Parts: sequence; C-alpha cells; structure tokens
Amino acid sequence: MFGFFSKLKTNANRKRLKDEKFAFLFDADTSGEVVVFDTETTGLDVSKDEILSIGAVKIKDNKILTSQTFEVFLQNSKEISSASIKIHGIRPVDLKNAKTTKEGIEEFLHFVGARPLVGYYLEFDVGMINRYTKEMLGITLPNQMIEVSEIYFDKTISLIPQGNIDLRFDTILKNCGVPNMGVHNAVNDAIMTAMIYLKLTQGKK
Amino acid sequence: MSIRDQRKLIESIHPFGLLSKESMDALMQKIDIAYYPSKTLLISPSISSIAFYIIIKGSVTEYIEDEVHDVYGAGDSFDADALIYGDTKAKFVVDEDLICYEIKKEDFLDLMQDKKVQSYFLQDFISRHQQLKEYEQQSELSPFLIARVSDIFLHPACVVDAHISILEALQRLQELRAKVIIVKEEDAYSIVTDTNLRERVLMGENDISKPIASIASKNLVTIDKEDFLFNALLLMTHNGIKRVVVLEHEKIIGVLEQIDLLSYFASHSHLVAVQIDKAQTLEDLKALEQDFRNLIVTLRAKGVKVRYITKLIATLNFKIYKKVFEMCVSEELQDKCALIVMGSEGREDQTLRSDQDNALIIKNGVDKELFSEPMMRLNSYLLELGFPKCNGNVMVSNEFWRRDVTSYKELIEKWTYDMNEESVQNLSIFLDAKCVAGDCELLHELTEYLHGKFHARDDVLAHIAKAVLNFETPLTLFSGFVLEKEYNNKLDLKKGGIFALVHGVRTLSLQYEIKATNTTERIKELNNLGVIDKTFATELIESFDTLSSVRLKAMLEAKTIEEANFINPRTLEKNQRDLLKDSFKIINKFKKFMTFHFHLNMVV
Repeated sequence: MFGFFSKLKTNANRKRLKDEKFAFLFDADTSGEVVVFDTETTGLDVSKDEILSIGAVKIKDNKILTSQTFEVFLQNSKEISSASIKIHGIRPVDLKNAKTTKEGIEEFLHFVGARPLVGYYLEFDVGMINRYTKEMLGITLPNQMIEVSEIYFDKTISLIPQGNIDLRFDTILKNCGVPNMGVHNAVNDAIMTAMIYLKLTQGKK
Repeated sequence: MSIRDQRKLIESIHPFGLLSKESMDALMQKIDIAYYPSKTLLISPSISSIAFYIIIKGSVTEYIEDEVHDVYGAGDSFDADALIYGDTKAKFVVDEDLICYEIKKEDFLDLMQDKKVQSYFLQDFISRHQQLKEYEQQSELSPFLIARVSDIFLHPACVVDAHISILEALQRLQELRAKVIIVKEEDAYSIVTDTNLRERVLMGENDISKPIASIASKNLVTIDKEDFLFNALLLMTHNGIKRVVVLEHEKIIGVLEQIDLLSYFASHSHLVAVQIDKAQTLEDLKALEQDFRNLIVTLRAKGVKVRYITKLIATLNFKIYKKVFEMCVSEELQDKCALIVMGSEGREDQTLRSDQDNALIIKNGVDKELFSEPMMRLNSYLLELGFPKCNGNVMVSNEFWRRDVTSYKELIEKWTYDMNEESVQNLSIFLDAKCVAGDCELLHELTEYLHGKFHARDDVLAHIAKAVLNFETPLTLFSGFVLEKEYNNKLDLKKGGIFALVHGVRTLSLQYEIKATNTTERIKELNNLGVIDKTFATELIESFDTLSSVRLKAMLEAKTIEEANFINPRTLEKNQRDLLKDSFKIINKFKKFMTFHFHLNMVV
C-alpha cells in the first residue's frame, strides 16, 4: 500500500520528529482498529483558522467503539466570530473548561496512535491538525488516511459511470441509510462518518 | 453535546429512562454502535446471545420455529430473555441493514442489578403490559381511574336503630353532620333521605314520634371501599341515585355523595343521564348528542380505561333506548314485549355509536301487528338520534326481527340445524342479546332455551368457533411498517384481532352457558369456571382493552364508520405500537387455544 515514494516521505517526516515520546506514531499498527475523527474550527482557512474541538471514535471490525469516544475542546487565541458560532454552535462559554492546544493535541495523538485515520474531507481536518503538530513536534500526521467520500465515489461510479456524483455529506448520509444524529458537532459527525464507513466497507459486496 | 444526544436517545427508551444518573453515566461508557448487513443471524438456539441490542436504524425479525414471532424496528430492543436465561428458542435475523447500540452481556447483567430495570425485564406479559400502559398514561395525563372509593372524601354514616323515633334520628343526623340516615333493621339496612322526609313526613301523615323505620326506603345501594370510583359513578348513573353507602368487610364505614364524586371526575356523565331521563321529546334527546361525544373525549383524555368508558356509554345508550321505547310503545303494550339490543351494543363493547342491532320479542298470544307501527317509529327515532342503520337489516323495523317467543324458538331451532353462513351470523348476533326495555323475562326464557340446544353439541360449537380463524392476525403488517416497504399500510383492528377475541369468547360462553354478554365479563366467568387460567384471562382482558382503546382513538378521528376500524401503525407512538403488537401476540395465543379446544384443525 505504501509506495516507495511515500515511504521516503514518511522517513523524512520521522527524522523531523522533535520529541521521541511520540515515536509511537510511526510504529506499525497492530490494533486492527481505525480512528474516525472530525474537527470544528473557527473557519475554513487551514493557514489562519483554529481548531475549537476534536471528536473521534475507534472502529474495530463491525463495531463503532462509542464506549471510548474522544472529545476535546481547545482554547483559542482570538475571539470566535459570531458567524462561525452559528455553524459549529460552540460559544465562548463552552470553551471555559477547554484545554490548551498543546494538551488537547497530545491527548488526541495518544488516542489515535498509529491507527489509520478515517474521515470525510479528511484533507482539511488533517491539515488543521498538522499545523499544530508541525509547530509542536516538527512533523505531520504519518498515519494512513482513508477518505470516505472516495470510497463512496468508487462504489457509486460503478453504478452510474458517466454520472455526476453528489459528494455532499448529507447526501452520502442519506444514500447510505445512516440516521442523522441531530446536531452537527465533532463527535456526532465522527460517529455518522463511522457509520458511513461501516456501511461502505461491511455491507454486502 | 454529542454524548448527551446519544444519552437522550437511550433515555427515551423504556426502561432506561428509569436509571439513576450514576447508572446512566456508567452505561454510556459501555455502549458501542455496531453494524450488521441484512440477513445476518444475530441470535439463534445454537448461537448464544452476546449482547443486548437497541436498534438505531434497520430492522430485525424474530422467528420461532420458522414462524414470524415479532419484528423490531428503530427504538426497539432485544433480547433480554436470551441474555438472562442463557438460551433461546428464537432466531433473530437482520431484515434491513442494522445499526444498533450494543450492551455487552456482562454489562447488561450488571445493569440488571438495578431493581427497576430488573423488574421490567423479568416481568411476564401482563405486568409489562400494564407498566407500559401506566408509563404511557403518565406521559400523557394522570391515571385517574385507578382511583378507588377509599381515595375520596366520605361522609360519616349516621346509623340508627330501627325503633328510635324520627325526631331522635334527626338529632343524631345533626350531631354527625351526615346527609342521610341509615336504619339498621333486623336483617338488613334501609335508608332515609331528604326526599323520604319531605314525602313521608312533611307532606305525608307521619308523626315525628313514630319509629324511623316506618319512613325508610328498602333499597340500599352499597359499594366496597376497595372498588373503583368509576363503578360508584356507574351505580349512581344506573340507579338514578345521589349517593352510595360504602362498606368495608361488609360493615358500613361512610357515605359517598355524588357531588364529591362529580367534582372528582369533573365531567358530567350523570348530567347526561339525568337529561336523558328528563327528556320529553326527541329533540331533547338529540340535543344531548354533542354532550355525549364530549364526555367520551374527556374521559379518554383523563386516561380512563376504555372498558369503563364503553360500559358508561352502554349504560347511557340503554337509557336512550328505554326512553325512545317509552315514547313509541303505548303503556299497556310495554310489558307485553321485550326490546333487545344485540351485537356490540348487547356486549356493551361499543364506543361511539355502532350499528343498530335490535329486535323485539313479543309475548306469546299477543297480536304481532300491534307492534308494527310503534317499531317503525322507534327505528326512525333511533336513526334520527344518530344510531346508524344496520347493514344486515337486523332492526325492529324488519319483520324478521319482530316475533313472539314460540317463533323465536323455531328460529333458534333452525339456526342450530342448518348452520349455513347466515344462520351462524344471526346466531352470533343473538348470542349477545341484552334486554333494554319491556319484560326482560322473555329474553331470559329464550337464552335458556338456546343454551339448552347446545348441550353436548360440540360439533356445532366447533363449526361456529371456526370463524375465529377466518382472518390472519396482522403481526406481519408491522414488519411492513417497520421496513417502510408498503405504502399506506393500514391495520384492520376489527378483522385483525377484535373479531377473533370477541367471537371466540362468545362461542366459549355458549358452550359453558354463561349469561353475561360483555366480553370482559365473559372472560372473567370463563376463568371462574376454570376454562382458562387467571393469567391468560388477564392477558385477554388487557389485550382487548388495548385493541378497543386504539380503536376508540381511530373512531374519534375517523370521518366515516368504515374508516374507524382502520389505523395506520405509523401514526402510533412507540409505546402504543408495542402494546398493540403484544396484544396481537395474545390474540394468536388465543387462536391456538381455540384450535386446540374445539379441535378446529379437524373441522372442515
């Protein structure tokens, strides 16, 4: 799965790791689990915006381990704009007990370990996390990435070869018959994404 | 936040809502979500259950010996028994791709340490059914009809000896601030009310030094302290009285006044009854129509059990029948015939007005023609009052249903021999006959005769009983509902369940010569005779109550009579759906019982 080129990249990444405590991120994964995660941010600009919360769940075989749900809120340097509050529903008071970004990100890394990461539009969420890890540890997330919209696309395109495939989250949710769990927040979205993932990978082939 | 959302979802599922905050916190730490594609076999006699499942989306079918036993959909959970007892006869198969919460076996058994949860899962059908009903009522309105006589204020009873003077008795009454005087005679009690005093002392010749017993009325109406308040209301309505004497272990402990009772009920069933009594013309009766409907709506909203509502409605309808009878039949003819109602009216099962099913029994030797005109009038009055026409023309306006006793006996004879469809149908209707006006002895004689005809005629009984199996119990429709495959899926309550139960119980009552016509009372009698055991009897009564209750709801919402028997399970709340499903299971059990009892599998 990992080509020669990506191996090179990983090795270069590994060399930049400043803190050996996090060497486990580069271990071979033996857990048999994957981690689905989602973030809520102050905006969509990876270079400027900040993470407000991270939600994640593990999947093992056909089960979403909601018993080990991960959820963290992070302190922010700027005020949260009222426009973005409308989207993520996180108000300044919700961040009263938030952790420092350092603490929060470290906890997240421990939760994830070397497991593959699963998400919807993962590029963005990983990009957000990478900005923090680069600063803290000198590295980007080395984990294998699995994009659900890609799996969805591959499955659907075989049915309608010339069609335009609608990859919006709500559409995928609906077409996969996954219940909408209500409000959008990091954990809920992670759980819903996890359900989509299971449906796409565990369903009748 | 998110964890709270999931928590809410779980809490909304009975009985998890009963858990304490701590247990709920602990539970949330142990729940996983699992995904199973359709056709997955989750539990079977050879695959022991490893978890308790709560369905988020999808559906699961339970099979017992390859027959569909139950269908579970979103919000349903299964299977506590398999976990508790460690094995199961049933097979659980995923019907539609399943996303569910999973509580591991050990964690579920831990949860069972909680008394409330434990009692819910360990209950048998009846208590679970009742708990669900109570739960449903709590979530709507207070269950007020569980109130008993002992729950309400009782006036002190002024009991005096028969030989003391009227004056002394009155003084005693004053002292106790009671409303009526109860006179203790040698072997019974009698009562002195304001009316007695007015009629027999003030307007009569009586002297206040005479013994109190001389002005007392004999018929003392009593009720036990543990009886339901609603029955007290029925007693008052039925007897047209304003108070009943309350007993505890056969001893008088107080007097229940109508005014207190009414304020307790805050509805006006008695007023309706009084107005029926007072009505002089057809218009007066017509004016009551709306009150009638309001009464039902109010009582139902208050959580009154449907079997009490139907009883009250029947009592009031009988009063109307009686009134109309008196309006149409001249006085000298009134005791020469008996007006009977049959079918659902006779069973006192009808909720809103159902079809007229009535007939007239004429005394032998009286000219039939004399009744022709009055009965035509009676029929037209009833129609005007909104008692719908009977499609089978079982009405006094039809000459066929106006006969003398001998002629009815010949008819019964014919019914029992030719056994064609029409005869069985007429016989079934007649079996529920109840006399509402005139000389009720006439009906009594016919009932005796009818029962006599069926002595040792189990072959004929089996033939009648066969109809119980005519319609499939619509348990499978629920799967249609859950799977959302069907469009406009509606359940026929009457065919699906009520008919089988009513008809089966009716046939059994014929076999065991039970005189009661009300389905609930018949079931109780059958239990007393040992035909069915106590548990089964209660199951049947509860199921009947549930079906009638759902039907009443449908009736109140329906625009036409035909529509009233249909409900769309989609519109029911989850609890009600569960109750209904449980009821249908009991109906299936009852059908099996009937098949066995009458050897129906051998009847062609």
